[in-house]
Amino acid sequence: MDELMELLQELDPEVDFENEEALIDDRILDSLTILALIADIEETFDVTVPAVEIVPANFNSAKAMYAMIERLQEEG
Amino acid sequence: MIFKYNSYFDTMYLAIFLPVAIVVYACLPRKNARRVWLLFTSLFFFWCDGKGLLVYILLSTLFMHHGGLWLGRLHDRLSAALKDTPKEEKKALKETYKKKQRWVLAFFIALELGMLVVLKYSGFFVNNLNALMGLFSENTRLLVPHFLLPMGISFYTMQAMSYLFDVYHKKIEPDTNIGRLLLYMSFFPNVMEGPICRWSETAESLWNAERVSYQNLTLGLQRVLWGCIKKIVIADRLNPFVKNVFGGYDKAVDFELVHFDFNAFPGWVIALAAVAFTLQLYAEFSGAMDMALGVGQIFGVKTPENFQRPFFSLSISEFWKRWHISLGAWFRDYVFYPVSMSGPVKKLTGKARKKLGNRFGPLVGGSVALFAVWIFNGLWHGAGWSYIFFGMYHFVLILLGNIADVLMQRFSEKTGFKRDILPVRIFRICRTAVLVVIGELFFRAPTLTQGFAMFGRIFTAFAAKTEEIRWGVDRKDLAVLLFTVGVLFIVSLLQEKGRDVRTRIAGKPVVVRYLFWYAAILFVVIFGAYGAGYIPVDPMYAEF
Repeated sequence: MDELMELLQELDPEVDFENEEALIDDRILDSLTILALIADIEETFDVTVPAVEIVPANFNSAKAMYAMIERLQEEG
Repeated sequence: MIFKYNSYFDTMYLAIFLPVAIVVYACLPRKNARRVWLLFTSLFFFWCDGKGLLVYILLSTLFMHHGGLWLGRLHDRLSAALKDTPKEEKKALKETYKKKQRWVLAFFIALELGMLVVLKYSGFFVNNLNALMGLFSENTRLLVPHFLLPMGISFYTMQAMSYLFDVYHKKIEPDTNIGRLLLYMSFFPNVMEGPICRWSETAESLWNAERVSYQNLTLGLQRVLWGCIKKIVIADRLNPFVKNVFGGYDKAVDFELVHFDFNAFPGWVIALAAVAFTLQLYAEFSGAMDMALGVGQIFGVKTPENFQRPFFSLSISEFWKRWHISLGAWFRDYVFYPVSMSGPVKKLTGKARKKLGNRFGPLVGGSVALFAVWIFNGLWHGAGWSYIFFGMYHFVLILLGNIADVLMQRFSEKTGFKRDILPVRIFRICRTAVLVVIGELFFRAPTLTQGFAMFGRIFTAFAAKTEEIRWGVDRKDLAVLLFTVGVLFIVSLLQEKGRDVRTRIAGKPVVVRYLFWYAAILFVVIFGAYGAGYIPVDPMYAEF
């Protein structure tokens, strides 16, 4: 989780990623930032994020993102 | 023909079809009967528009039904086979099935898309092919096909494709019940102008066929009335002026006020007409959505919102997240992310980020995906170069907007310039609106060449012989328009500030509420633009 928080802070230091629960719904993260974030996630956590996983439910909060990463790691 | 509707605002629809549909539905005691009734009214609505054209939506539904079941069977077989397969062979097995599923998906998408492409675009392609061949030989000409377009084909085809994609990705389970699929495809309030629904959001509430509740009925009717105000008072009243300057759509050549010669107008009138058209398009399309969502609510159906006060957007990119939301979301989920997540584009993004950094890097890969989105978006609106230009115009604006955004952020960080203060926000809102209006001018112009000529005149033709202009709008029209647009603006502003105007009105004492509704109904009846001199505007998005 710490690694993910680091990635997120680097991407946009002004956002409170710890508490924000509607990163997509409130348009805090736009689609291009998501692309950069996914590239980071794939590199850091050694997973492949398929396009079908890019839904608000998986990216609205740091927690949701981490849950998705763990799931993708398990699925291998 | 028993009924013929040009739009959801036709008297035939509002006074006969809709009340009968609602009253009979409300009287039916059994859920199954209500479902059958909804299906029957939807198919009847379709049949009234084009009789035999009904076959296309039936075929489309049949394809999605079969495609979904086939994909589902492959998912099941894979799951069963994986249980008895040693770990080291699982990957290969998954790949084999993935390949099969891709072929099945491609086959059914080709069938769905094929119908749309042949019916909607073959004329455009053959015309362009003929023009190209004409460069080499004067005698070679292919016959240009002309097909009648079934109502709502651009909308329901998108719904069918999203269903197939979602089944393929295991986001939803395929449905064995073709009746449920047919209702999802043909639900009459949505079929003409959308919104483009998703199976996971809408299908269940549709099939639930809830009883009509007092709250849903009143809130739904309230929204229908609001839609009528936007469409009949604003959009229709602007129609003569817009048609005088832009000329009619091809379909409306019988409209007597059409004298298409924009050269007769000074530049500022053309600019004013572009603003009027943008306002008209918004009033017509969002009014039709109020009608669709309001009627949906009466039947207890959850339909996605298609507008979120787009003219408060700070950028073009934001505008497209608030205008025709269901179309933008479709392209985002089924074009933008799949293209940007595809192998080659991902590699490109990776390389670009190393060279250009986190801010500009993703723009390179993202722009490839954005280009695909906007080519399709332009073409979705119609088979013509104006629409392709319209798509490319917004593609370039969004790209430039993203670059400018990064630069402005850096500028703000260095200088302490605040972008969030009210005057700057108002400037950004106005700038976005001007850019949108320019785009709509090209969108509405009969051809791309004429669009450029009209745009040019705005800056070159200053001679104003206003006494010769046939405005099509008199002082009374103007007063009604200004008042109604003012009300629309205030309501939008309140909603933008998070006030729930609808529930607040519904919560007032009964006398106040009824007085309010009678006043609103009278307002539409008295100030609605109909009768001699007015031709109601065609449902603009039903053309696409």
